[in-house]
Amino acid sequence: MSADISEVQLQVRFITKQEQYAVPDSPYAIQSNVQSSELNTLINALLKESSAAVEKAVEFDFLVCGELLCTSLSEHLQEKAVSTEETIEIEYLERFPAPAPQDCLMHDDWVSTVQAHQNWILSGSYDNSLHIWSTKGQHKLAIPGHTSPVKAVCWVSFNGDQAVFASGSHDQSAMLWIWNVARNSVDCVVTCRGHDKGVECLAVSADATRFVTGSWDNNICLWSASLSDEDNVPSKKRSKPEHGNSREPLSTLKGHREAVSGVQWMDFNTVLSSGWDHLLKIWDCELGGIKQDVAGNKAFFDANWSPLNNSIITASADRHIRLYDPRSTESIVKTTFTSHTGWVQSVRWSTTRDTLFLSAGYDGQVKLWETRSPRTPLYDLSGHEDKVLCCDWSNPALLVSGSSDNTLRIFKAKHYGTA
Amino acid sequence: MPPFRIGLLKRKSDTKETKPKVSDSSQEESDDEKLISGQLDADGDDTDSEHEEEEASDHEQDEVLFDDSADSTLGEDEHVADASEESSDLEDSEEDDDDDEGTSKEEESGDESEKSSVDSGAESGPVHTQSGASDSETDKKSKKDKRQKVKVKKDRGQKTESSIDRLADTIKKTSVTQLKPVGQKDEYESGDTSDEEDRRNTVGDVPMWWYNEYPHVGYDLDGRRIIKPPQRDQIDEFLKKCEDPEFWRTVRDPSTGQDVILSKKDLKLIHRLREGHVPDPTHDEYQPWVEWFTREVLQTPLRAFPEHKRSFLPSRSEQKQVARIVHALKMGWTKTRKQLADERRKKREKNFYNLWGSTTEEEEQRLRGIHKHIPAPRRALPSHAESYNPPPEYLLDSKELKEWNKLSETPWKRKYTFLPTQYASLRQVPAYERFTRERFLRCLDLYLAPRAIKMRLTISPEDLVPKLPSPRDLQPFPTSESLVMRGHVGLVRSVDFDPAGQYVVSGGDDCTLRVWESSTGRCLRTVRLAESVSRVAWIPTAGLSLVAAAAGARLLLLNPGADVGAHRVAQRTDDLLEEPPPKHDVQVDERTSSAVEWQRVTPEEWARGVRLAISHFKPVTHVAWHARGDYLCATLREGASRAVVVHQVSRRRSQLPFSRAKGLVQCALFHPTRPLLFVATQRVVRVYDLVKQELVRKLLTGAQWISHMAVHPAGDNLLVASYDRKCIWFDLELSSKPYQTLRLHGGAVRAVAFHRRYPLFASAGDDDNIIVSHGMVYNDLLQNPLLVPLKQLRAGGRAEELCVLDVRWHPTQPWLLAAGADSTLRLYT
Repeated sequence: MSADISEVQLQVRFITKQEQYAVPDSPYAIQSNVQSSELNTLINALLKESSAAVEKAVEFDFLVCGELLCTSLSEHLQEKAVSTEETIEIEYLERFPAPAPQDCLMHDDWVSTVQAHQNWILSGSYDNSLHIWSTKGQHKLAIPGHTSPVKAVCWVSFNGDQAVFASGSHDQSAMLWIWNVARNSVDCVVTCRGHDKGVECLAVSADATRFVTGSWDNNICLWSASLSDEDNVPSKKRSKPEHGNSREPLSTLKGHREAVSGVQWMDFNTVLSSGWDHLLKIWDCELGGIKQDVAGNKAFFDANWSPLNNSIITASADRHIRLYDPRSTESIVKTTFTSHTGWVQSVRWSTTRDTLFLSAGYDGQVKLWETRSPRTPLYDLSGHEDKVLCCDWSNPALLVSGSSDNTLRIFKAKHYGTA
Repeated sequence: MPPFRIGLLKRKSDTKETKPKVSDSSQEESDDEKLISGQLDADGDDTDSEHEEEEASDHEQDEVLFDDSADSTLGEDEHVADASEESSDLEDSEEDDDDDEGTSKEEESGDESEKSSVDSGAESGPVHTQSGASDSETDKKSKKDKRQKVKVKKDRGQKTESSIDRLADTIKKTSVTQLKPVGQKDEYESGDTSDEEDRRNTVGDVPMWWYNEYPHVGYDLDGRRIIKPPQRDQIDEFLKKCEDPEFWRTVRDPSTGQDVILSKKDLKLIHRLREGHVPDPTHDEYQPWVEWFTREVLQTPLRAFPEHKRSFLPSRSEQKQVARIVHALKMGWTKTRKQLADERRKKREKNFYNLWGSTTEEEEQRLRGIHKHIPAPRRALPSHAESYNPPPEYLLDSKELKEWNKLSETPWKRKYTFLPTQYASLRQVPAYERFTRERFLRCLDLYLAPRAIKMRLTISPEDLVPKLPSPRDLQPFPTSESLVMRGHVGLVRSVDFDPAGQYVVSGGDDCTLRVWESSTGRCLRTVRLAESVSRVAWIPTAGLSLVAAAAGARLLLLNPGADVGAHRVAQRTDDLLEEPPPKHDVQVDERTSSAVEWQRVTPEEWARGVRLAISHFKPVTHVAWHARGDYLCATLREGASRAVVVHQVSRRRSQLPFSRAKGLVQCALFHPTRPLLFVATQRVVRVYDLVKQELVRKLLTGAQWISHMAVHPAGDNLLVASYDRKCIWFDLELSSKPYQTLRLHGGAVRAVAFHRRYPLFASAGDDDNIIVSHGMVYNDLLQNPLLVPLKQLRAGGRAEELCVLDVRWHPTQPWLLAAGADSTLRLYT
């Protein structure tokens, strides 16, 4: 900490995009060694002066030079090599409130995958079973059916009392299930067989008519998500009555040279996939061809694309989370987020905020990131005692993560912006 | 012949002809060439009047005529000067006589003459014509006589008679000479030039001062003397200058001594010459310039015909000449102008010897024949103690003095070589008695002790280290520990990846064989075996799902099961191994059957996944698959000649490739592509050709005890680990001697492994480090492998002085798996 710089007076001007928190647009002279907490009190004081509408104290985050202020202002400016002579514009926005730990759902085995919905949380476990929980933490159902660890689950649709979900497992099959909420009974509608090796990832399209699975046999299979299977499979191929109906893939996308670790729908016929062969591929499902390749230099464990900002975050076989822009043809990484100390296994964008995402790492940490703060995450959601294998933020209010300590932890994201 | 004579002659001839052009003459008279003519006129009148007075009008015309001719023959003849002189004389006298005579006509004529002489004489012509010709002529004649007489009286008192006579003589002469030729001319010389009639001085081009002593100046054509005209003295000159208005243009003809009055034309001519103009006044110096040859380039040539073909061809003779010159230049026969000039300049320069100037030190040493001169060491400067008045602390006190005296036997032990002494002034310092002696010794030192430069070895340790690329450029390679797989109890002896890299199999001292998921570290399956597992090896082909595990003396082939890997493959493997092949296919000799026995697996073993079991007569220490997945090479401990057994899985058959023991076999490996078998004994690696059944090579490792070895996936390089801390790289293409011996470990090296895709290899042993190195093998046979140690990875804990028992690379990713003695598997990425 350089003492000389801490004494410098800075001219700052506060701007914001949230109109309800606007303060007078006049420069203020502040000490350069202030932290964001002191700026916070300053803004709150200014707000109190200017408008009586804001009663409660609001927590703000401050963006200086396009990056979130985490250290003292002087250090931040020094890092950015910005002169302290000029008037510095500080943008402030309401801080994403700290997620509060809500629940810890105990499983019998490692929780390998999880997806939350409005009221329900679906999780897959290494004990070959699926579990349905309510968001309140109530265990609704344990569903045996797979014969190997369940690696991917996904809700397909909710239709009144009937909920449909899909699951993929290392037993080389994906299953389509109907869960009758009222009766709390589940039924496997279709078993999708087409992969030669374990299914690693699964994604359902937005219109809930199709889903794709990525597998260790390097292929991506596209399946129909319809519940009636007569039109899909010839009757003679029906087999294994204990598993219900079997289904063949609509198409198989071959192109990865190694295991496919993550799939996601980008629009109704475009699929993003990440593989262990250091490639991100964007597929056109109708044509069955590759639209675009993005090459990394490490095996990808997961990739997630956000429609809000049209960028891809990836988790690789190292400590870094990388942000790619699929529109740029060369694989230039836009930002690298480094805070995890182990492999990052899973990344998920926020569905409501274009700058926030969640990551889960083998260091037992789930981290909430802001894209403008590449070195410091907003929050560390700690609690897991072992490798975190999956995380999910499908429900904007819930940050869910599953770990190899046999727990599924739920953090509640408080609503913000309502004040 | 003077012009007036010519004119006279012409006139004579003209008299017979018709009298032409009065107007002409008058016009010509109006020209400015009247000066001489005017006087000559008088002269001519003179002569004329003597003979033909009646033809006054005629001769007036003639005057004009011969005037013209007189122009061209200016100054040619003494007669002109003569006549003019006479005329001037006459005029002078005339003016003088003006008062005497007082006649109006005379005045007129005088005026006339004056006018004609001074003015342009425009009216002189007309005046002449107007005046009565005869009158004027007669007057003039008479006047002339008078005038001459007066003149003589006046001017030449002393010369008197003689000069008068002479004059009269000349007049007579002229008259006489004129008369005759006139007559002759009339008769037969009408068309002839009058030049021959000239009174010409015939002496030639001799200096005229020769005639200074004589009254004459030469001889005329007839040999008669040409008498000098009367000489004037200074007073005469002066008077003439004062009186004669024509004096300024009167010159003396040196050949005749006559005075000549220059005409206006002559003056003009002289003037032009003096000013440097062209003498001809009609010449136009500034004629308009006609550009016959213009510098402007015209579009079309002025010459209409095309250039001759010859003009486009280079001249052969010129070419020859140039070639000759160029050759001479190349051979150095000729020198350029600059070189020649330089040579000349050099020759002209004077050579000076630098007698007094100082030369550089090197130059001087060179001249003196000294090479590598080392200057004599400088003597130390005198210290305070050597001062004549040293500070008191340098002076020896009594105690020191005592010591000083004590050391008199051994003076070199003294503090000083001299005794510091204090003097009041420098004056009192006595002579130094050892001065000569010491100077002499110094000289001896310098002279007798040769000085030499001592060469020191200047090799820094950094220079001895070979230049290696930076590890940063050789990425990717594992840098940190990512996963720890826990589950084993006791030592983990061996690990292996499945061909896709999804699973890991490990076996250890806890008699279990475990299958792990490589990406999560999840233990998927545990198979409990009867004995501790010393070696596991996954079948390298993807079409089968088999793990070979050496448990004690038994070698088990297990199918890791339906959960691990592809169902279809597992099913196929089961199908293949369920039924043994027909017996007649397997023919085993006594020696083999005593060593190896293929056992049927019990149902409970089958349920655990064991598909085949081969029991040996000795414990199995090492197992290696052939790349095709059908053959399996097992190494038995203390097996002697039967230490290496090759099993064929498909036919359930075993072979003992060696009949004689070559030593204590440590491990045996198949070549990845060729039918070669590497057998490592305690110190030597032997390479056998399995087809020809012969020893191909013997690799001398130089190690005391080989522990393990690995073959490069390309097959041409072999890495051998030894218990004496060495890793030995063999380039089989290069030689049977080690290409490089890497001493990177602090303890015994127990495991080495090559990566299948990346140019990486790893070695691990009893020290706490796993060494990851870059081992690039080039396709180019001329380029030797490049080995760069990259990274030391911390291994897990130690147990019983063991640390890492096996290392294995992920088949596709640059990940390294190490089996630790602390019952963990660690994945480094």
